[in-house]
Amino acid sequence: MLPVLSLSAAADEMTRGAHLANAAGCEGCHTDREHHGQPYAGGRALATPFGTFYSPNITPDPETGIGRWSDEQFLRALRAGVRPDGANYFPVFPYPSFTKITDADARAIKTYLFSLTPVRQPNRAHDVPLPVSWRFLQTGWKLLFFSPGPFQPAPERSEAYNRGAYLVTALAHCGECHTPRNWFGATEPDKFLAGNPNGPDGKAVPNITPDPQNGIGSWSEEDIITLLKTGQTPEFDFVGGAMGEVVQNTSRLDDADRRAIAVYLKSLPPIRSLKKGR
Amino acid sequence: MFSVVKLGLLGAALAIGMAGVSTTSFAQDKEAVLKNRQETMKEQGKDIGAVKAYLDGKGDLAQAKTGAANLTQTTKKIPDLFPPGTGGPNPTGDYVAKPAIWTDWNKFLDAQKAAATKADALLVAINSGDKAAIEAAFNDLGKNGCGGCHTAFREKIEK
Repeated sequence: MLPVLSLSAAADEMTRGAHLANAAGCEGCHTDREHHGQPYAGGRALATPFGTFYSPNITPDPETGIGRWSDEQFLRALRAGVRPDGANYFPVFPYPSFTKITDADARAIKTYLFSLTPVRQPNRAHDVPLPVSWRFLQTGWKLLFFSPGPFQPAPERSEAYNRGAYLVTALAHCGECHTPRNWFGATEPDKFLAGNPNGPDGKAVPNITPDPQNGIGSWSEEDIITLLKTGQTPEFDFVGGAMGEVVQNTSRLDDADRRAIAVYLKSLPPIRSLKKGR
Repeated sequence: MFSVVKLGLLGAALAIGMAGVSTTSFAQDKEAVLKNRQETMKEQGKDIGAVKAYLDGKGDLAQAKTGAANLTQTTKKIPDLFPPGTGGPNPTGDYVAKPAIWTDWNKFLDAQKAAATKADALLVAINSGDKAAIEAAFNDLGKNGCGGCHTAFREKIEK
């Protein structure tokens, strides 16, 4: 009986991990879709104001992927933004959000990733100029801008609010694109989700706080749920660009999770957005 | 001989004249194309809205059926809305038609055909009257049909 039980427990863990990896959108950045790259094998170019980064291979290939990583190493990467060799990640990897992921969820994501077919594809070096490319400087960046630690639910708030907060701030890392960044590329906490005039690939990203003028103050919870499910806006348009990619993930969440995100977004303080170019 | 040369010259003059005409009319053409494109897209939005209203219990089935029938027609016309040289911002300046439409025309056609096929499937579902099937077809058309094209080929201009 025991092996059967542990087998189904492992299968449950994997299903849960697949759901969580989807919520976190791992595949999007870690797949070079433009050049028909293998899923999760990395190599996608991410253009930022600091240079072009290439996502690494996160398939379980032991040589070129993460196949040799222990659970502790995987958790440290997500939690502290540190590679197994001790070097720092650049914050283009959203570890400032992923630090909030619970241990159990992080382990489930690893179980899922390790169930994938290993792909042998060496990582491509980032194309970033000095001094940005000096990884040791990231230690200082972290001291200034990084607050590590798991998500803390607010006990006075509803379950939906807390689930939404966890999804938005930790897994789905919405703020990485929707929050403006300072001169050092750190997101500005007092402008959380207030829109980013200079988002990925130099594109502007809209304000999703409930500001009635340039946020989504006029949107109902249902409107937000519909957008996350099908990409449809209240004007019967369908979002495209980077958010079109995100909708492929959010459409695979369940209704309870989409509602939780809507509840949380509607409860945020409205912030008037910045003008393009600040 | 002389008449052949004369004919040749006449032909050249005509060709130049026509080229002149086509470049001047082209600027007006582009404006008309962009306007027509945006209007057609807005029409599609209204038709989508009719189906959505029915699914939300706010509209009737007959209007949803008309909307879906319109969508099967308009999605097939999309390639005609994008003649070469008509990229750039739309008339109201909130979206850009990306150059990839023309540099990757076959991929664009694949995306358009996907939308058209999904619109056909929506009409079939509506005619069947099965609400769950209608909702599934509607979501597929929106997310992968409309959204599929907008993800690869359209860009928002933030103001």
